[in-house]
Amino acid sequence: MAPRTLSDIAIVGVGVTAQEKRSARNSLQVALDAAKLALADAGLRHTDVDGIAARWPGPGGTLLDPGSADWSTLLGVPVGWIGDSYPQGIPALVDAAGAILTGQATTVLITGGQAGVLGGGRVASYTQPGNEFVAPFGAFTAAHFALVAQRHLARYPHARRGAAEIAATIRNTGSANPDAIMHGRGPFTAEDVLGATPVVDPFTLLDLCLASEGGAAIVVTTLERARDLPRPPVVLLGAGMEWLRQQYVDPPRYEQVWSIGARAAATAFGQAGIGPSDVDVAQLYDVNSLEVARQFEALGFCGPGEGTDFASATGIGPDGKLPTCTDGGLLSFSHIGWGAPTLKIAESVRQLRGEAGDRQIAGAEVAVAAGAGSGAQYYNLALLGRAR
Amino acid sequence: MTEFTGATDPEAEELTGAFWAAARRRELVRPVCGDCGRSFFTPQLACPGCLSENWTYRTSSGRGTVYSATVVRKPPSPGFEVPFRLGVVDLEEGWSMLANLVGGPDERLPGIDAPVELTWIERDGRVLPAFTEVV
Repeated sequence: MAPRTLSDIAIVGVGVTAQEKRSARNSLQVALDAAKLALADAGLRHTDVDGIAARWPGPGGTLLDPGSADWSTLLGVPVGWIGDSYPQGIPALVDAAGAILTGQATTVLITGGQAGVLGGGRVASYTQPGNEFVAPFGAFTAAHFALVAQRHLARYPHARRGAAEIAATIRNTGSANPDAIMHGRGPFTAEDVLGATPVVDPFTLLDLCLASEGGAAIVVTTLERARDLPRPPVVLLGAGMEWLRQQYVDPPRYEQVWSIGARAAATAFGQAGIGPSDVDVAQLYDVNSLEVARQFEALGFCGPGEGTDFASATGIGPDGKLPTCTDGGLLSFSHIGWGAPTLKIAESVRQLRGEAGDRQIAGAEVAVAAGAGSGAQYYNLALLGRAR
Repeated sequence: MTEFTGATDPEAEELTGAFWAAARRRELVRPVCGDCGRSFFTPQLACPGCLSENWTYRTSSGRGTVYSATVVRKPPSPGFEVPFRLGVVDLEEGWSMLANLVGGPDERLPGIDAPVELTWIERDGRVLPAFTEVV
């Protein structure tokens, strides 16, 4: 029977390569590695794929752009659909669902990552837009988020310490994950975060996410097909996206971006027929400490200005009521540039399957996975659940 | 125009070349829509208020207030001496831009809504607008 609704779409495979500070491989290689892992996890062969969402990252690729159709050559399969406008994370998952629901493909591979691209620079090069109204002034990704944070903290000064507690908690979660880049680092306290090397006010090094290398991939198909595959299927319950402005060019306006994600969350929760209190694990996009608090507010877990208090009262560590960034997140597990949003989906799937090993959250049935944030001026999220 | 002005490709040059040419004369300009009168920034093909392509660069007073500001303490790339101040300035004609904050009382970080005025700095051979807190 043809799939009819979002919850007829299932994630059946996830693949995450070894995450490293600096990889000896290149972006194309780690994307292929991740694809193979995801297909093996799904119990599928590459010849089963008939839709692909990926960048042709190079080196080793074509100079033609967009070039993601070349993935069909690499995998040796003709495909019915490609997605290359934003072929990572939630937007790719939504696009893949659309492709499957409209009959363009039955099995979509989403893969990406970065490797061999981070040099010895002081700030990861991809976080520094070359734009003529940005670069000359020394702005970079974290600075855009800092300009948002400064306005928030002028209004809610207590959130500074609360944000530091969030960073410490997520980093401590990652410290216990053997696969995390920052495995074994810590434990950290809020004081450690506040006293770490300052980067851009109000943020210190420990408030900010990593810039690392590796690949991540998922395989998406119909729930009907998923029932015949080895892993417990995880279905798409709802999703939402907001695009306010091109990222990191025009500076963000606090009043516009602090709540970005609220509308997307309303869409997603509406589709799923559930609310924030039904979420068991939150794979929020933790590019910095305060941004996690912001998402609790924007997504409706608490009221405006209450994000850090909510985190503290609820508990966002593995023993808390809302375990957040259960792999250690972008702060401690890994941040692989454009591929990072797919890591959020992969960790959600592992938790919902009950296959997260030592970091498994008991009874995880609903997860939220998110991407981007206030300083980026776009945001997206997906609600995922165990198929019943 | 043959001289490098800051834009990175011919289309951007056409859109923003006049901004950087004015900057070399130490004159701050911004696009103003000829149809609806709106000032906007960064320069775009059309006015974001009414989608008219009928806009021209006009001189700004350079007076404004700080919308948000921060101190960068880690160099984003070689060539930047830290710490330096970075802010978003709301200009009195109703537009805003990212720029560095320089000088001012005790070289402090201006607070939100602090009044600022235009000054100019040079970096990598380019003349850049910057803003100073007015007491």
